[in-house]
Amino acid sequence: MKKLFALILVLLLAAAPAFAGETLRVAAVLSGSLGDRSFYDSANEGIQTLMELYPDRVKGSVIECKNDASMFTSNLISAAEQNDVVVAVGWEFWDALTEYVSELPDTKFVFVDNGLDGVGDNLLSITYAQNEGSFLVGYIAGKLTETGKIGVVGGEDSETINDFIVGYEAGAKYAREDVECMRQYAGTYDDPAKGKENALALYGMGCDIVFQVASRTGEGVFEAAEETGHLAIGVDSDQKYINPDVIICSMIKQVGNSIVAVVQGILEEDSFAGGTIWSANMASGLIDVGYGEEGMPQQVSDELKAEVAQIKQDIIDGVIEVPTAFH
Amino acid sequence: MRDIFTIGLLQNTLRTATPVVLAALGIMLTDHVGIMNIGMDGMMLCGAFFAVLGSCFLGSWVAGLGAALACGLILGLFFGLFVIRFKSDEFIIGVALNIFAGGLTVFLLRTIFGVAGAFSGSEALPIHALPRIDIPLIGDIPVLGQLLSGNTLLVYVSWLLVAVLYVLAFHTPLGFWMRATGEHPESLRAAGVSPEAMKYLASILCGLLSGLAGAHLSLGYLTLFAENMSASRGFIAVACCIFGRSNPPKVFLAALLFGFIDALGLRLQSVGVSSNLTSMAPYVVTVVMMVWVVQRGRRRRLGQGKLPDT
Repeated sequence: MKKLFALILVLLLAAAPAFAGETLRVAAVLSGSLGDRSFYDSANEGIQTLMELYPDRVKGSVIECKNDASMFTSNLISAAEQNDVVVAVGWEFWDALTEYVSELPDTKFVFVDNGLDGVGDNLLSITYAQNEGSFLVGYIAGKLTETGKIGVVGGEDSETINDFIVGYEAGAKYAREDVECMRQYAGTYDDPAKGKENALALYGMGCDIVFQVASRTGEGVFEAAEETGHLAIGVDSDQKYINPDVIICSMIKQVGNSIVAVVQGILEEDSFAGGTIWSANMASGLIDVGYGEEGMPQQVSDELKAEVAQIKQDIIDGVIEVPTAFH
Repeated sequence: MRDIFTIGLLQNTLRTATPVVLAALGIMLTDHVGIMNIGMDGMMLCGAFFAVLGSCFLGSWVAGLGAALACGLILGLFFGLFVIRFKSDEFIIGVALNIFAGGLTVFLLRTIFGVAGAFSGSEALPIHALPRIDIPLIGDIPVLGQLLSGNTLLVYVSWLLVAVLYVLAFHTPLGFWMRATGEHPESLRAAGVSPEAMKYLASILCGLLSGLAGAHLSLGYLTLFAENMSASRGFIAVACCIFGRSNPPKVFLAALLFGFIDALGLRLQSVGVSSNLTSMAPYVVTVVMMVWVVQRGRRRRLGQGKLPDT
């Protein structure tokens, strides 16, 4: 009896992939946890959108590693064993992907926000031109600052974060040459109290607009802005809804939509550009600036919005070249 | 340099120190009865969550504070029950509390408020923050006024508690019994006082203080709850308690020192010091402080003619 049962089980398991072939199983593995209201949440939205668009063909899931370094590799591998497409969200997966992608050839990997190539034909990396988007919000800050000093709070001193900052500074200087841009790094992505202190220090030094590039730490930046009567700029998603009175605009980096685009490519055209790096720049439409929804108070005038739209076109056309922190 | 040494630096010091002061005072009480409570970080986190929960659903900061205190009371009793009654290892219970608090608050945040990560109030459920208190006359003094006036309620409570707990620990029979519990419980028992009762009392008071620390974090310092927002402040508080040798005014100064280094580090970034170095500074100072305390303790014991074991 036991043997028969075991045999049936084995047969079932062997047959399982054949049955499952109808649906595409997509998993997003996050290095942090949901609820940053920007980067990770955007990836989650991408997965949810896919399930809504293709209710019968896509089975999506999201796995959080909650910044636990011991989970990065094991979660990635177990996700790869159970899914057809694995989206790695966070630079923390760099080492794990480098080591294991070639050993898991049946799974398609998508590495978000990092340019990793030469690892295998089943890995597509996506990089985002956050410097170009930050250039736009920097331009707005440069136009709106009254003190001539603007600030930025970064999560940590890393290349990706600095890419935002470099673009922001360049944009502000493009709007007003004598603008001074001060930066602070919180050294953490999930301590809003720290972010509040960083922002208060910047406002105390004369900045009147602060751009946050620090995930949950950035929530404190908005609090500091409200408390001192200054302005702030959101990041990754359109964050204006968090506090429409102080958040003048947000630099948008549509991580979720890029995931949707990649999976749609697999579903509709059976195409997957493995082994390459896709650079999602301003022209891709995934990088933008957001002013919240209708009915929210607007600190950015319509004329300024028109100027920003023109600059956006100039960046796409290559008239303006935005500096980057990557070498 | 003028940008660094401003009134903002001192205000920042005070803000950063206050949650640590409240937590460290709680740890100090358990330390006196011979229990090292490393679960403070998790207890604070629970306090912060329940403060927001009470403030939102019952519609006032008083209710928020009450909810945080109730949560602290329960956690203090829970801690006491396991450590005193069941004689579990206090470190294991402390670690368990920290992990439990991390999971519980995330779970409750997602189920009750329906958001992940952070909750900063909504139209239907605004968070009522603790009131700011302006002291009439002192508030007009130039520098001092900006420091002493206009802080949130629990900042003043923390100052008051430093004085009250100092008197309690060193100038009342109750404080004497508590310290005797930690140093020589048998003689206390011989004197007809139950050391267990003292331990329970300390655990519960510690729980209440953890509630205050949490409420200050989520309703005073910030007006939001974020997952894991205690961010190891409970552990810094343990270090401050040891550094201040469980003496409230010294514990207070230790917390201020920690706050000052943190605030200074943040401002040093603006003159080009690497952020990786500045965010390390508070912890480097903590380690240096610890070495100094241990060395001094050893020298004292040597001075008394008692050789250490090693």
